[in-house]
Amino acid sequence: MSVHQPLLASAFRRLALLAVGVLVWELVARSGMFSPIIVPSVTRIGYQFWLLAIRPESLMEASYSVSRGLSGFALAAVVGIALGVLMGRSALAAACLGQLFSGTYPIPKIAFFPIFIYLFGIGSLSKVLLIFLECLYPIVVTTHAGSRAVNRVLLWSAANMGASRARILWRVVVPAAAPFIFAGLRIALPIAMIVVIITEMISSADGLGYLVMYSLASFKTDRMLAVVVAIALLGVVLDWLIVCLRDRLVFWERLDSYYAE
Amino acid sequence: MGGPEMAPHTPQRSEAPRQRRGAPRYPYRLLPLWFFLVTLALWQLASRFEHPDFILSPVEIASHFIEALRSGELLPHVGASLVRSLPGFVIGSLVGVVLGLMAGIARSLDQLLSPVVFLTYPVPKIVFLPIVMLWVGIGDVSKILIIALACFYPCFINAYYGARGTPTLMVWTSLNMGARRSQIFRKVVVPSALPLVFAGLRVSLALSFILLFSTEMINARSGLGFLIRQSESSLRFDLMYVAIVAVAMLGHASDQLLLLVRRHVLAWQEATSR
Repeated sequence: MSVHQPLLASAFRRLALLAVGVLVWELVARSGMFSPIIVPSVTRIGYQFWLLAIRPESLMEASYSVSRGLSGFALAAVVGIALGVLMGRSALAAACLGQLFSGTYPIPKIAFFPIFIYLFGIGSLSKVLLIFLECLYPIVVTTHAGSRAVNRVLLWSAANMGASRARILWRVVVPAAAPFIFAGLRIALPIAMIVVIITEMISSADGLGYLVMYSLASFKTDRMLAVVVAIALLGVVLDWLIVCLRDRLVFWERLDSYYAE
Repeated sequence: MGGPEMAPHTPQRSEAPRQRRGAPRYPYRLLPLWFFLVTLALWQLASRFEHPDFILSPVEIASHFIEALRSGELLPHVGASLVRSLPGFVIGSLVGVVLGLMAGIARSLDQLLSPVVFLTYPVPKIVFLPIVMLWVGIGDVSKILIIALACFYPCFINAYYGARGTPTLMVWTSLNMGARRSQIFRKVVVPSALPLVFAGLRVSLALSFILLFSTEMINARSGLGFLIRQSESSLRFDLMYVAIVAVAMLGHASDQLLLLVRRHVLAWQEATSR
């Protein structure tokens, strides 16, 4: 964004499209052209959102979704970073795993969900493992690229000063690959949210995805949209958290824009 | 975005001389194939022991696959899935690439669109399926719209950064040589954005399949996602595996097709980067 503009005008421009959208929605809802079931007004959605935010039951549903999503994501982060670094530093690992990952990357893992249900039960485990599998790919690929791109001079000087292999990995390779790793994590986090919601919509009796389908089935569209807003906010907040974490850990390289390259 | 390419890191022939003594010349080239074959063989062997009904051996799956192709149980569903995913992918990625390129070069459009796009990017788009279903019905249109929406984002973001990353020097040079704005756009901005655009297309393609199967699993009367879900609930595991294999093959084939197109379009880039 330009620095020459007054702050207020730029803030207004940034949110203009969103504000216009909300306004048009409210006008359409109030005009009586459509039934309130099809287009519930913004005020009703807001009221339902308020109910959602203060009721402990609905907060429990949200916590189910978040804990599933985050545990799958965390598992994928640990395994993915380890595999990526390994592939970046060992030609043998890169030859075996690189082909494996690039060959299976375009296969939608969600198709295996029924098998996962049979293998790991219909509870949280099958969902967490599916999230793990979907998140693994972007993390491995970016970590691999990052740890291959480490400046050789840094590796040589570390080796020259007598650092062991493990120490070089931990103190040189991982920090040097950190910007890449965070780019991968930032791609993987929305995927984790997508898979949580999808699996909860397909087969679950709790979580926000289930709440969406349940509200739809009981024709409470205002409530459904309130849940949709909550999921959207959750996605934005989690993304913001990971950007904060990134700025704290990778302090030497700032993101110049909201979106990481 | 889109991550760097997933090119396998196979050693180049020209690097071969610098190798340890006794090591074979092309040590890792066939390794993945062996890995795959050994996995299949172990799976086949393991299936001779006691195992639950829902696990089939590779040979069984292959024979069921051929059988399903012959009996016509599979192909209508493949067709139904493609009718949904292709229009969704084409519409979403086309709109995404065009708007992304425009936002990358025009400040007014950038300020209007980018904040909203980047704000809504981490939102899982599948949550809009119920409301879109309410508006346009439960049929194919709602699925196409959701797939298009999901495909829009990676394409927009990559095209946006691609267009913004155009080297300023090239724009100046072409201005200096008297190029018009439209010429600069077509001959400078678009080519320099193309590598990132293709990275975005590849992410969108994978996303379109994820969205396709999840929308079909949630509600559909045809398509591969429906087939997987239906055969699962009617305990026809043979058909379930056949559908899953078809999904995998479809995803793989479309990805290869996209890579082929990219190799063709970006021949100049491959040549210079080598």
